[in-house]
Amino acid sequence: MSGGFDRLLDSVVRIDVRELNFEDGARRIDAGIGSGVILSQDGLILTNAHVAGPKAVEINVTLASLERVSARLVGWDHWTDLALLRVNMDEAKRRGLSFKHAEFGDSDKLYVGETVFAVGTPHGLTRTVTRGIISNNNRYFEDTEGVDGYETGNFNTWLQTDAAINPGNSGGPLVTEDGRIVGITSRAYLGANNLGFAIPSATAKRIVAGLVRDGSITRSYIGVIPKALQDLEGFYDVATNTGVLVDSVESGSPAAAAGLQAGDIILGVDGKKVDGRFPEQLPPIQNMIASQPVGSQLAIAYKRGSREAAATLVTTKLESRIGEEWVSDTWGMGVQRISRAYARENQLQDDEGVLVIGVQRGFPAEVAGLARGDVITKINQSPVVSMDVVKAVDAAYTAKPAPTLFEVQRERRVSLVVLKP
Amino acid sequence: MKKLPLILAALVGTAGARASDLPSLWAERVKCAVAVEYVTQTELERRPTIAYGTVIDSEGTIILPSAAIDLRVSPSQMKDFKVYTPGDPEGAPAEYLGRDAFTGWHFVRASASVRGRLLPVTAFCGSGALREAGLAEEVWGIGIRNKDEDFMPYILKSHVALLQSLPQRTAIAQQEVSGPGLPVFDQEGRFMGIGSSSFGQTFLEFTGTERGGTPIMLVNVEESSAFVTAGEVIPYVGRVPKNPFGRPLAWLGAYGLEPMDREVAAFLKLESQSGAVVSEVLEGSPAEKAGLKAHDIILGVDGTPLPRFRPDRVVVDYVERLIAARTPGQTLTLSVLRGSDRMEVKALLEEEPRLVREADRMYFEKIGFTAREFVYGDAIARHSRIGDLKGIVAHLVKPNSPADIAGLRPDDWIKEIDGTEIKGFASAAARLSEIDKDLLRTETVFLVSRGSDTAVLRIKLR
Repeated sequence: MSGGFDRLLDSVVRIDVRELNFEDGARRIDAGIGSGVILSQDGLILTNAHVAGPKAVEINVTLASLERVSARLVGWDHWTDLALLRVNMDEAKRRGLSFKHAEFGDSDKLYVGETVFAVGTPHGLTRTVTRGIISNNNRYFEDTEGVDGYETGNFNTWLQTDAAINPGNSGGPLVTEDGRIVGITSRAYLGANNLGFAIPSATAKRIVAGLVRDGSITRSYIGVIPKALQDLEGFYDVATNTGVLVDSVESGSPAAAAGLQAGDIILGVDGKKVDGRFPEQLPPIQNMIASQPVGSQLAIAYKRGSREAAATLVTTKLESRIGEEWVSDTWGMGVQRISRAYARENQLQDDEGVLVIGVQRGFPAEVAGLARGDVITKINQSPVVSMDVVKAVDAAYTAKPAPTLFEVQRERRVSLVVLKP
Repeated sequence: MKKLPLILAALVGTAGARASDLPSLWAERVKCAVAVEYVTQTELERRPTIAYGTVIDSEGTIILPSAAIDLRVSPSQMKDFKVYTPGDPEGAPAEYLGRDAFTGWHFVRASASVRGRLLPVTAFCGSGALREAGLAEEVWGIGIRNKDEDFMPYILKSHVALLQSLPQRTAIAQQEVSGPGLPVFDQEGRFMGIGSSSFGQTFLEFTGTERGGTPIMLVNVEESSAFVTAGEVIPYVGRVPKNPFGRPLAWLGAYGLEPMDREVAAFLKLESQSGAVVSEVLEGSPAEKAGLKAHDIILGVDGTPLPRFRPDRVVVDYVERLIAARTPGQTLTLSVLRGSDRMEVKALLEEEPRLVREADRMYFEKIGFTAREFVYGDAIARHSRIGDLKGIVAHLVKPNSPADIAGLRPDDWIKEIDGTEIKGFASAAARLSEIDKDLLRTETVFLVSRGSDTAVLRIKLR
């Protein structure tokens, strides 16, 4: 193989992550294994968001030299399933550890049939190389709960490869013969043969730059769910390769405020024509809108029936459907702040309250009848406006246990329960 | 005609004196029990169902338990009702009269040809007050075999083990004592009640891999060990519905009542009180007009505190039955706790809005779905204002039809057809009929709402 490929092999790492989870109503540590690739001599490692995220409490990487060193999370972006880590450089220096780093290639230039290699840690088998071809260089899919319950795939298409991808390959690089990273291996169909998917390096480069700069990726939100216009041009009387169909407008969103409706055809954004004829064309359009600074004014040209119209909307910050999580050790209950997205999905009246994500058997929450999926709306008859309210009551209860009244909503039913010491 | 039951009662009274003669008691009382068969006919299938019922008068009127008929099925889809007397393979036609909301019973009337072979349970009540079976008392009831065994009757016998209010007075016997819907008698042949749905029994299942045992619940659907007492039956046999929907139906509009448990009552300093939390107050309902609020706790009705039940959740049925027992136009005074204030809320009950099973519907063969009128309950289920009772509901989507392939799903709320907003059912049905009949048409486009999202569906017709 090429010198570039050797260098790449020396930059691939195994990642061992210990995560703190609250879903059993207790602090539980889960361990996971993934892969990653070193991007720079100052120790930046690129991996998947579903390998290492904000829940990680301990991250260790195994270098090509088989030496292990600790690392920390720089930032993550579940929308593209990417996360950036940094090697503990003090430790690396102290122990005299060395490593190489890999370079990005250009995923836009990949052709279908081109040979690629996946390098990673499938099923814990460190430093495994598999070979295949690019099966499709523009695969579209979205997954609302794809990254540990977080949304993914709305802003990028994927590379598809038949190089063998197994659990543990996640976060490892997909490379060309010269050892350049063209994708980050992220998922595969289980039970299928050699249907693996990777995030293109063109997307990864952009996300890495953002995570290095800000530690997170901020996107604009307008609240339009688009649909490919394929075959509907005749019905809507628009020219082929023109416009994006509005499939749904999320209630309370900037698009709803600007008067956009399902069935409208968006013709242009800020004077730029858009073409969403095929599903594969939708992520770039969504990404173009999301890349605008939060609070931008967007001029939307659209067609409704036979009439063309224009609307101006102001973008807001895109939020995830999963809110802040916390666990009460006393009550044996894990809770999550209700996000706007969750409230909308579940048609809740507002985003007040916290969601129960787990209860521990035999603890006060479970004994009182609370269960995963319940929404706690009031405690001792005061509304739960923030996680701090829950924490404060929990602290008081822990100091001096006394019966505490919870108002909970399950589906649409409101019931009262008392948690007792 | 009216005198007949009385004469019968007198005859049976003398027969009842020979207490130990079970075979002769059986021979007469088995005429109170019938099997009822009907067919649920949808656009795609005919599905027969068999249930058991008890004869309540000399007109051939039969009551079936609530569970005998799925409430989501429209009476117009229930066809070919037949009544079979025990042991008789030749049934006689019958008519579905409707469901009574208070008792939950479905009423069916057998044709005249079979009435001579039936006897009402009212003939076996004895004189004076109705008796309730006592604890440990021996009782017997009737079971009926399947259709392929000519609905042969058989006897079941047990002792009363427990009496409870659920909220109906219910006796629970040591073992199965009758088929659900079939009558139970005491040793002297007096009517003691009607078998209710059986209670599940939990068993542990052991397998080669699961040595600890997995709990499974088994429910005997052919026989039941529980029966509602005669006092829950005889006073209500006159509640024969005037129409298949059981109208008029009293409506309050307090949605999602949830029981207040003992711990909560103690916390709120309401010891020895029972209560029901109101989850939502429905838009435009009598409850809303009366000023009832979501999260109010109902503590009493018409000045009487709600009684305590075991388990606590029975209180919900209790309140709902109090409403169902009334008619639109009557008032209901609720004592409620709101925050820390107690207050009275006086509601004037109204006729319940049109129900899903009453909604108009029409099947479109080529598109491949049944459209149904959008009713009040649909708006409530979709968190929508009732001001816009617009659109139609996809009630049934035929598998692999153009509608199915385009992604239409049952319960989708169709709001626009070909870009035109749907106002009411009639105009939408007319529009869809045109589309369905138009042989040249290549597509139709629906805008549907599903959960919090909408979707544009292109239905390819050619």
